[in-house]
Amino acid sequence: MKHLIYSIIHLQYALRKVFNQWQYVGFALLLSGAFSCSDFVEVDAPKNTLTSETVFEDAATVKSALANIYLRMRDQSMVSGRNGLSTAMGIYSDELDYYLFDVNNTQLYQHSVLASNGLLTNWWRSSYTIIYASNDIIKGVENSNALSPDEKAEFKGQALFIRGYIHSLLVALYGDIPYITTTNYIANNQVSRIPIDKVYENIITDVKEAVSLLKNDAASDESVIPNRATANALLARMYVQTENWELAETTASKVISNYSLETDINKVFLKNSASTLWQFKPNGISDRNTYEANQFVIRFIPGQAFSLSEKLLNSFEVGDNRRIAWIGSQTSSDGLNTLFFANKYKAIFNVTASLEYSILFRVEEQYLIRAEARAQLGNSIGSQTDLNVIRNRAGLANTSASTKETLMTAILNERFVEFFTEHGHRWFDLKRMEVARNELASIKTNWKDTDVLLPIPETELELNPNLKPQNAGY
Amino acid sequence: MKNIILLKISRILSTACFLCMFLGWQAVFSLTGSLHNNPWVNQSWQQAMVTGAITDINGIPLAGVAVQVKGKQIGVVSDPDGNFSIVAKPNDVLVFSALGFITQNVSVNQQNTIRIQLLEDVTQLEGITLNAGYYTVKEKERTGNIAKLSSKIIEKQPVNNPLAAMQGHLSGVNIVQNTGVPGGGFTIEIRGRNFLNGATEPLYIVDGVPYGSESLASVSVSQGINGANISPLNAINPNDIESIEVLKDADATAIYGSRAANGVVLITTKKGKAGKTKFNVNMSSTLGTVSNFLDLMNTQQYLEVRREGIINDGFGSFLENPAFDFVWPDVKSWDQNRQTDWQKELIGGTSYRNQLQLSVSGGSDQTQFLISSAYQNETTVFPGDSKYGKVTVNSNINHQSKDNRFKINLSTLYSRETNNLPRTDLANSAYTLEPNAPALYDENGNLNWENNTFDNPLGLLQEDYNVNINTLIANTGITYELTTNLEFKTSLGFTTYDLDSYRILPSTARNPSFGFTPENYSTLTTNSGSRQSWIVEPQLQWKPKWNKLGLNVLVGSTFQKQPSTQLVQSGRGFPNNELIRNLSAAKTLQVLEDSDSEYNYQAFFGRINFNWDGKYIVNFTGRRDGSSRFGPGKQFGNFGAVGLAWLFSEELLLKESSLLSFGKLRGSFGSTGSDNIGDYQFLDTYRVTGLNYNGVGIIEPSGIFNPFFGWEVNKKLEAALELGFFKDRLLLNSSWYQNRSSNQLIGIPLAATTGFSSLTGNFDATVENTGFEFDLRSTNIKGTNFQWSSTFNITFPENRLVQFPGLETSVFANRFVIGESLSIIKLFESQGVNSETGIYEFKDFNGDGLITGLEDRKFIEDFSPDFFGGLGNVFRYKNISLDLFFQFKKQRGFNSFVTQTAPGFRRNGSVDLLDRWQEVGDEVSVTKASASLNPASFASRDNQRFSNAAVSDASFIRLRNISFSYHIPKTNKNGLDMNVYLQGQNLWTITNYDGPDPEQTSTLILPPLRQITLGLQLGF
Repeated sequence: MKHLIYSIIHLQYALRKVFNQWQYVGFALLLSGAFSCSDFVEVDAPKNTLTSETVFEDAATVKSALANIYLRMRDQSMVSGRNGLSTAMGIYSDELDYYLFDVNNTQLYQHSVLASNGLLTNWWRSSYTIIYASNDIIKGVENSNALSPDEKAEFKGQALFIRGYIHSLLVALYGDIPYITTTNYIANNQVSRIPIDKVYENIITDVKEAVSLLKNDAASDESVIPNRATANALLARMYVQTENWELAETTASKVISNYSLETDINKVFLKNSASTLWQFKPNGISDRNTYEANQFVIRFIPGQAFSLSEKLLNSFEVGDNRRIAWIGSQTSSDGLNTLFFANKYKAIFNVTASLEYSILFRVEEQYLIRAEARAQLGNSIGSQTDLNVIRNRAGLANTSASTKETLMTAILNERFVEFFTEHGHRWFDLKRMEVARNELASIKTNWKDTDVLLPIPETELELNPNLKPQNAGY
Repeated sequence: MKNIILLKISRILSTACFLCMFLGWQAVFSLTGSLHNNPWVNQSWQQAMVTGAITDINGIPLAGVAVQVKGKQIGVVSDPDGNFSIVAKPNDVLVFSALGFITQNVSVNQQNTIRIQLLEDVTQLEGITLNAGYYTVKEKERTGNIAKLSSKIIEKQPVNNPLAAMQGHLSGVNIVQNTGVPGGGFTIEIRGRNFLNGATEPLYIVDGVPYGSESLASVSVSQGINGANISPLNAINPNDIESIEVLKDADATAIYGSRAANGVVLITTKKGKAGKTKFNVNMSSTLGTVSNFLDLMNTQQYLEVRREGIINDGFGSFLENPAFDFVWPDVKSWDQNRQTDWQKELIGGTSYRNQLQLSVSGGSDQTQFLISSAYQNETTVFPGDSKYGKVTVNSNINHQSKDNRFKINLSTLYSRETNNLPRTDLANSAYTLEPNAPALYDENGNLNWENNTFDNPLGLLQEDYNVNINTLIANTGITYELTTNLEFKTSLGFTTYDLDSYRILPSTARNPSFGFTPENYSTLTTNSGSRQSWIVEPQLQWKPKWNKLGLNVLVGSTFQKQPSTQLVQSGRGFPNNELIRNLSAAKTLQVLEDSDSEYNYQAFFGRINFNWDGKYIVNFTGRRDGSSRFGPGKQFGNFGAVGLAWLFSEELLLKESSLLSFGKLRGSFGSTGSDNIGDYQFLDTYRVTGLNYNGVGIIEPSGIFNPFFGWEVNKKLEAALELGFFKDRLLLNSSWYQNRSSNQLIGIPLAATTGFSSLTGNFDATVENTGFEFDLRSTNIKGTNFQWSSTFNITFPENRLVQFPGLETSVFANRFVIGESLSIIKLFESQGVNSETGIYEFKDFNGDGLITGLEDRKFIEDFSPDFFGGLGNVFRYKNISLDLFFQFKKQRGFNSFVTQTAPGFRRNGSVDLLDRWQEVGDEVSVTKASASLNPASFASRDNQRFSNAAVSDASFIRLRNISFSYHIPKTNKNGLDMNVYLQGQNLWTITNYDGPDPEQTSTLILPPLRQITLGLQLGF
């Protein structure tokens, strides 16, 4: 105890001594303390980012944000020419045969799809990334004080169109889905699925608003940005889907009145085709042309991934010029085996000149939509007229179908040979016209009626249990 | 704002300069002052020159022994021959002290020459000082948990990275080498995984300067070869290291506050010693090979199961149809009798490493220096001429004023590494190529593509990956004793780390039938990253002592700025492949990333240590930290700890015990934190991507933002008992710890419907790491000619998720389980192969008749180790010494089933797959062969990969290091000091594990190599 008291007295003495020294040493600490702490640990945003508010103060940066959407769609979404609907739904339906061993594609080809399928998971994820980007633009544009009303209308119109378009593909693949209209991650993280009818209602609302906001109907700037005609084309497609035949007819007519059909079928898939409503511009660096040509054109056997199915080849009528112009063939090195491939897009990446862009909407679809709507409305003559426009261009005679049923069959087949290997048109047709079982059960030995819907990605059900239950059959 | 920051930098720097000048002037002043007061200038008539020689008990001269006149500031150091001379008065007492020897006092009396033998200090504890970062502490008196690895152990291991030298030697520290490719990275866990986001990197401090260990590699350049994980610690030559200290508990780490949650690793480089100028040359050659090859199917076995698989899948008839030959060239068109051991071809080579190190050191009592330079060159086990090279220069200058009041130390470490490797690790090709795959080269010596049916793996060798790394770590430490016991200290540190890498994809590396040409395909991708960091840490230390109470007070502050930049570019299309390394020759140029970031960090810290008579010690440490990684209002956090120690062996009762020579009970509790989430996560931004669409530059939303996240908190509790027996010949340290981490900062996974996969934020989950660590050191035999000592350490870690509100409904529901480790994985429970169908079956946990990943992956496997440790023995007989070090670990890991669960695929696999189901009634472990053409068994095969059957014991005992060295006796006094040594690393492993290596279980990555080194060391 004595020691302790002794020590404390010394401590006091020493402390006093130290404080006396303060004047000649202490300024070092004073100086270091002179820098205000919180200023030192505050930093500016790095040079490769823009804060969100500044993006919507300038039309140029909003265009950049929209360009991001188109680039994402072109490169990594389900409408991309690589690993997109064109190949995957081609092998899932009766358009294509598949030769490689990629597990995701094999599952689709053999109708043994698992909920863990990586391709489908990527489609799901990339879709909602695009939807988020659209929603953020819609929100940012609405709140912006710096943009002019015209700019606002144009940007919001494009974003609404994209939101509707992506949802329209999701609902067609997965059935009931959530419809995302906000950027609120808390709500979106636990969102539930809504019934198919409700989804289509939302899509139609969005696309109608897009139509009212967008101005331009004519092709411009290589049609690499969707315009009002594109929005109307999607709207017509949605009306057919929801069996709203009158509106489908009038909406398709609006598109047809603004676009002339490309008369030469050899030019339909060139970048300046008159028929094109909307297409993706390639990046111009590694790819000057389309992913589609690279995916479909068989350059060597072996080495092929996809070839056209016997069924598709047999669906062409004799004298159909599309059979010559849009289909190519390759023979194996030993000469024993010949395979046919989609040759709508011919220029593969490494051709120096840029000849072809990847087309999403073309006016031919509107003729066949109107033909279908008119057939459903009992206007057989009108239906035949539209159908014949497409047939005649391909060098075929007028259709012999005249009743609603025969016309529907003729339209289904016409759509098959016109839109094969284009963004899953065939699969969506089979599903919409409820003939998937008839057409596929004989080809796909594993066919189950539940195959009309693809599974919600397993990881997403884990992340958001509100998305349960899984679609039947998975 | 930028200007303000610049202004501040200049203000701080100028202040620092001013301080240096001020202190320097003070030092000069006091130097001259001390000269005047020096007693032997004024009182020379009483003085006499005393000379002498110091040896050990064997008569070997001892250099570097401090000889001091007791109670005076006079001291000298013995020269290399053990001689000294000092001026002393007859009534003076000389104090002889040296590390590892018992201090002796000798009265001068009337002697002119003193010959003295110093006895080795059997007490291993005395004299050991530990570096605790801002302060040093005696091993005996530490209140915290600090593990030390000295240069003695590091030097004996032929390794490239300091972390490799630490493997197995330190309790509580679990280190795994990520790849056997030179220049790769390591994973380190100190006392387990604390955070859900997986961040386990500790804070590295090299000679007082925080050293960023994050790699600046770019995924677009180096993903295939080292996973973009290049350890910046490769820059430090292990032979330049004097010691590595690992701070583990709250008491030791809390002074590093927010960056210490995962522990702190302090690396101290070697310093010069006063005395004769010494030259040291060290040269060595190392041979490295893959230590274990897999037992794969031969051609006959492979083709048999291939055919069987094709038939099982229902495609048997196609086998005979020549039109389908192209679908399976391995079964049809390739030579059916050819056999190549691809492991031997692709990873079976020998790597050579040559190393040469030169160092010069010496100096006077006032100034010492050390300059060391090393050159190293290492090849790989892959074919081709890949290689890794490293040049390091380490220099160190110490100066102190004659009165010892002013000290300055400058240490500089520079290294340049070049690494040239194939773009992709060939290990996976070696394990999976068909055994009858065709020759690599055709008769003309060109790559053979076998009519487009063969993806020649050697094409990858033409796809070069090349990296140049320059690292500079410089630190100046200035200490000035203001008055007795009061010291001002500051460190001024600077580091720079520059990484330049590129990857080429020449058209010739690909099958020529693709039609690729330099113009349309050849690609160059470059990445240059740069990170600078400067740090100023002014401190005051006050060490008064009154009677029995010793006090040690430290206050200081830290200012650190760490800007970094990264530029990733890609050029495509070259006139020819000769120009492929030149971006300006590229037809099109793309900027993939052009970014900068800044990390600013500021802190105030302090320590108060009370030491009562060397018996009772209380240690308080604390830190207030601010980090720019958090949004406004969230930047600052407070951390602190208290440590207690009771040296009960100093109590009277035990002081005279012959058995117990040392006993200490200690404990600590405190908090540390972490801001380990990357920069700028709190900002709501759009990011410039460098891409464009239709000529419009792209910006994309960077992510969902959350401005409200704050520090992670990590609370550490420790209790330890340290015992020394038989005059400390046997030392046992045992500690128990419990670390709890909460307020977890993670990228909270989000459903895709949010548009993003994750959101950075704090998550109210708690992770607990508890464990026991035992360290044993013993001197078993201590004869004149023969000595034997041992070390042993073992750690029993346990990792547990304590709480996680709403886990069941959260996105982590299938990842974690409350009460289980973070390293668990949920798996299907395999019930083996159904003997009727030949298909794997699994337990249907929810009984719905379906096996789904969502509902039936309920079997829990824990991949965290049960225990791990090391056993080392050092034998010395006269001039020969032998070190053996074993590392062991008990753990579980994925086995070969995780890559393939059925034979018959177009890839080779383990011979174990031959034990397959072939007909009804077969009771076997492997499903029927399949060529992956029939979907019926897809799911079952896939589920088996993620079932408990794909996990097995991956425990091992490994002879990690053998070192044999022979010291060639000196022929005369000035002759060469020569050492010949033979060292082996990773020589022998006992394990039941069936994969390439139980330490690193991936089959995509080259496992760590077995290395043998022969070397020669010369000193003169």
